[in-house]
Amino acid sequence: MNENLTKDSTKWFGARMPRKEDRRLVTGKGKYIADFVLPGMLHAVFVRSEVAHARIRGIDTSEAMAMPGVVAVYTGESIKSQMKSMTQKVLIPNLPAQYPEYWALAAGTVKYHGEPVALVVARDKYVAVDAAEAVAVDYEELPVVLDAEAALKPGATVIHDDATSNEIFAMTFTGGGTVEEQNENDAEVEKIFREADVVVSERFKVHRTGVTPLEPRGVLCDWSEADGLTAWITTQRPHIDRLALIDILDIPPEKVRVVTPRDMGGAFGIKAPFYRENVVIAHAARELGRPVRWIESRYECQMNVGQERDQVNYMEVAANKDGELLAVRNRGIANVGVGLVGVYWGFVMPFLGAIELPNAYTWRKGDVKLRCAVTNKTSNTPSRAFGNYPTRFALERAIDMAARKIGMEPAEVRRKNIIPELPYTSVTNDFYDSGDFIKVWDNLMAQIDLAEFRKEQVAARKEGRYLGIGFSCGVELSGVASELMVPMENQPGYGSATVRVEPRGALLIFCGDAPSGQGHETTTAQAAASVLGIDPGDVVTTTGDTGTTPFGSGSIGARYGAVGVSAVAKACEQIKAKMVRVLAHDMEIKAETKDFEFKNGEIVYLHDSTKRKAFKDVAERIIMSPINLPEGEDGGLETTAFFESDKPMICFNADCCILEVKPETGEWKIKRWVTSEDVGNVINPMVVDGQMHGAIVHGLSNAIFEEYVYDEQGQQLSADFEHYKIATAADVPDFEITYASTPCPHTPLGTRGIGEGRPASVSGALTNALCDALEPFGVEITELPIRPSRLWKKVQEAKVG
Amino acid sequence: MKTITVTVNGVAYEETVPERMLLVDFLREQLVLTGTHVGCTYEGVCGACTIHLDGEAVKSCLMLAVQADGHSITTIEGLAADELTPLQQAFIDNHGLQCGFCTAGVLMNMSEFLEKNPNPSDDDIRHGLIGNLCRCTGYVHIVKAVRAAAAVGQ
Amino acid sequence: MFPARIREYHRPSSIAEALSVIARENVGEAIFLAGGQSAMQAIKSRMLQPDCIVDLQAVDEIRGIRQADGALEIGAMTRYVDIAENGALDGPFAALRDAASRVGDRQVRNRGTIGGSMCWNYVASCMPTAVLGLGGVCHLVSLKGERSVPADDFFQGPLTTAREDGELLSAIRFAAPAKRSGSAYRKWGLVTDSLPVVGVCVNVSLDGGGRCTAVRVSLTGLPDGAQRSTSAEEALLNSNCEPEVLRSAMNAAADNVDAQSDDSASADYRRQLIRTLGAEVAQLAVDRAKH
Repeated sequence: MNENLTKDSTKWFGARMPRKEDRRLVTGKGKYIADFVLPGMLHAVFVRSEVAHARIRGIDTSEAMAMPGVVAVYTGESIKSQMKSMTQKVLIPNLPAQYPEYWALAAGTVKYHGEPVALVVARDKYVAVDAAEAVAVDYEELPVVLDAEAALKPGATVIHDDATSNEIFAMTFTGGGTVEEQNENDAEVEKIFREADVVVSERFKVHRTGVTPLEPRGVLCDWSEADGLTAWITTQRPHIDRLALIDILDIPPEKVRVVTPRDMGGAFGIKAPFYRENVVIAHAARELGRPVRWIESRYECQMNVGQERDQVNYMEVAANKDGELLAVRNRGIANVGVGLVGVYWGFVMPFLGAIELPNAYTWRKGDVKLRCAVTNKTSNTPSRAFGNYPTRFALERAIDMAARKIGMEPAEVRRKNIIPELPYTSVTNDFYDSGDFIKVWDNLMAQIDLAEFRKEQVAARKEGRYLGIGFSCGVELSGVASELMVPMENQPGYGSATVRVEPRGALLIFCGDAPSGQGHETTTAQAAASVLGIDPGDVVTTTGDTGTTPFGSGSIGARYGAVGVSAVAKACEQIKAKMVRVLAHDMEIKAETKDFEFKNGEIVYLHDSTKRKAFKDVAERIIMSPINLPEGEDGGLETTAFFESDKPMICFNADCCILEVKPETGEWKIKRWVTSEDVGNVINPMVVDGQMHGAIVHGLSNAIFEEYVYDEQGQQLSADFEHYKIATAADVPDFEITYASTPCPHTPLGTRGIGEGRPASVSGALTNALCDALEPFGVEITELPIRPSRLWKKVQEAKVG
Repeated sequence: MKTITVTVNGVAYEETVPERMLLVDFLREQLVLTGTHVGCTYEGVCGACTIHLDGEAVKSCLMLAVQADGHSITTIEGLAADELTPLQQAFIDNHGLQCGFCTAGVLMNMSEFLEKNPNPSDDDIRHGLIGNLCRCTGYVHIVKAVRAAAAVGQ
Repeated sequence: MFPARIREYHRPSSIAEALSVIARENVGEAIFLAGGQSAMQAIKSRMLQPDCIVDLQAVDEIRGIRQADGALEIGAMTRYVDIAENGALDGPFAALRDAASRVGDRQVRNRGTIGGSMCWNYVASCMPTAVLGLGGVCHLVSLKGERSVPADDFFQGPLTTAREDGELLSAIRFAAPAKRSGSAYRKWGLVTDSLPVVGVCVNVSLDGGGRCTAVRVSLTGLPDGAQRSTSAEEALLNSNCEPEVLRSAMNAAADNVDAQSDDSASADYRRQLIRTLGAEVAQLAVDRAKH
């Protein structure tokens, strides 16, 4: 037993406990989707569109069908009549938008390079690839629309036949619910801008980038007469996927079970939508009466998912000369690709990004508008920092620009305008439930000596060296309350957990979500152990199986720390209360839950410690010998709890980047990256640290190295890791993560959901530091990616200009 | 088809394979050693498929199974005999993994790296990790775990 | 994703056997396979669909590093790692170690070979550039006989070399360098050790007074692949190799090079890298020559 573990069970909460998941994972005994094999299993490979926009004139599958080992080939037209379209209510948000009809396999037209057009099923996966190559699709190419602003112009080719324009979604996020209120608000904002001492007005652009978990997607479907469909899917939301399969394939609900493999190789949002491939594979399995498995290649993954962030923000900030931020005005134009993705439709991410745009600052007023355009690119899919990455970049840069115009330190402007007291409602009606932003910010500033840095910076410049410091911050989601989740995704925001006590005292916990590396097996055990005073080694957590877990919307939006583990705690408290009721009755004392302590596997009466009983004995008594129970009490010791937060909850972080730039090559080296975090109460510090590291590297890698590139014909050119470059260990620094947390008053354990929105503030701190370093050259960065070649060019242009 | 003899994790196998079968598929599907993973398509950049060929870390997705004929292979399943190696234990103690998908490749690479570099600096470790992409950890805890393993002597 | 069907796999154990197998098979559809770190990418993506593979891993004759009287011979199947870790390859031959120690990643270096890299001759690659910079001579064998081709003639453009079908590159030979010689190679890529956006190799010999008596400068990352920079060489030859001279030589190299703009970098940035990186590489080569 590792000496880090202690016998004192009150220490589980906050313990750096090694993870339960790790032993199987470091010995190669994990079970990911590609490791699942069923007898008689067939292998599926998708044929995908080679062009960005075309009518399908015909598909010749004869050569493929004739290959030995090929069992079936399906095309859009051939399967359409046996299912509904993908445009089903369960997959549609409660938001006013255009929701074009589309099918599991493209029927009639293809609208992006990589769209699934046919499915080949064969006995051997190599043969399936041979056959897929032999499927001949006759395309009549159509005009391609790739740029969002161009797509929104009158006269642009409208991509979706059943849409009136390429503007799939548009909204105003400030002022109120009616047009009159909004117009009045906009006029007031305009007045503020006209009268402000300082105005920053810039066009900011963030490129097409997102997430690439190391494990691509996969689906394994098995039909039986008796049990119906069992679908193993790399999904973050098995319960939702199940509903969609029921609706689209018209299967009786009792005959569908969706299982997320216990081990999933990362997701970061791309495994949250409901995908066409799920339907096609399920259909093939039903038709063929054999299990069918599809394992996505990296190439397919790059072609079909993981793209987000592609957004232009015309952002304006008004301030007065004392450094008070007065108003923010933004026109966001998001390129959402074809937008045909279940639950998200490409635009839900920028929608949330617009809501969260005001960040942690007090604004007198705001005018925030968004337009989302469909184009012939892959549909945007959720990516960690869901919707926030482009707007945080823009706002944090704009604040620095304002500070420079005012002549104040950017850190000082932030400090002056950070929301001083929570709860707080932003100008976009975004509710921030709790936290002490000032404490977090001051803690960040305590890690660095800004005055000293400025002296160093001056001295270095005399030697021809350019040091820079940059700041940013981010208010991010801690779970998604139903109040927001129902309109945004047509799904509930509650967390859910079933806690079943075993007669021998162990705990089986069933949670409705599906993690992919966040350590839920461990932190759930720690949380349960701390409430019930047992050993985390005696707690087993099951997730991802709709057959055994209570309904949950999935592992998205940092739900676990917010509502997921809260539901576990709530259920454990109910278990605790019942055990006390029975035990007190057995002891013939009048007592309440608070009169007992659950510790070290025992339940001890606080007022007389001779009155004590082992946890497992009380469990056994209630489950196996339910006689002479208190009046009205039943036997059994299992409960399901749902935890909802009335209002949205948040977490908060602030970043500081210190670096040195070499103007002659545009290269830079990060010397320090310091953060200050409010993550609420922490169950396992190692897990939280790890989440921060991963998120910051993600933010850096997106900002510098990664880009999905399309040519003028809409051909995607970055479908492998030679072209789509990802940060390696040698490309990123170490980080100093510090904490200045406030327990969340709205969750039973004081925990917050963390880690999802975290990458959003990273590009701001980085680019602010670069601009600070190159201030003598007057360099301002308004576009990502930022790379040495681009920075060098800016320095050259500044020298000339 | 070709018949090959290859020793994997100390066990000798005689197997018949198509000439074009990739070594990683042979290990995962024919020998059912699924600890080695596939994370990229043809480019061989991600490193999740790293194994030992005659004791040296190589990417099994860039080899054909027939090329392993007559050679000795160690996969993640064979890294430890009974007890975990200090490197594996260090990864557990230092939270050097999250989703675990890159982990087998990292461990196979780093175990050979530490044999050649028993006293590496953090820069050495980071440079040694270029052939292993990780999207979860941000590499910090991986480097910490390798450093800890080096301190106890692998 | 997976290779197209491969009909035959051979693993000869000698040069003679390798050559006869290739001749026996339809040479247009049979390929030699060295380390496979480039070829297997192409085979898996089906850019290459060889009918027959002749695996050279067992041809021990063409593996190994041999030095005699200062001259160097490196067998074509010598791996990057073996070059990188060979302590004898310093001073005049250090560019070979510089290049080999930074190709790809350590897993690639455990398998990839100098011969494979040279015959592949990817437009942005390290070993061909270092070999060109050091004036290596490529030894080719076939059933018709043997011939030697200097690096300048061996590299003929992207993915093209002087090696003909049926010929095997057996070794690369380097003449004994003059006393007080030094070489260096460095590259720049967006991520560490990635394929060179620009790579520079400088190889100098100095006389007792520090004057340059011989020099070769080679570049990679440009549209035509590994190439010499005669502008830089002319500026350096007979010069005193002081830092300003090195800088101005590399400026000349940058000004006279045909560079491309692509997703990795603009042509202007490539030129700037040739200036700055080139000056560093030249200084390193000169410092090595002086020791």
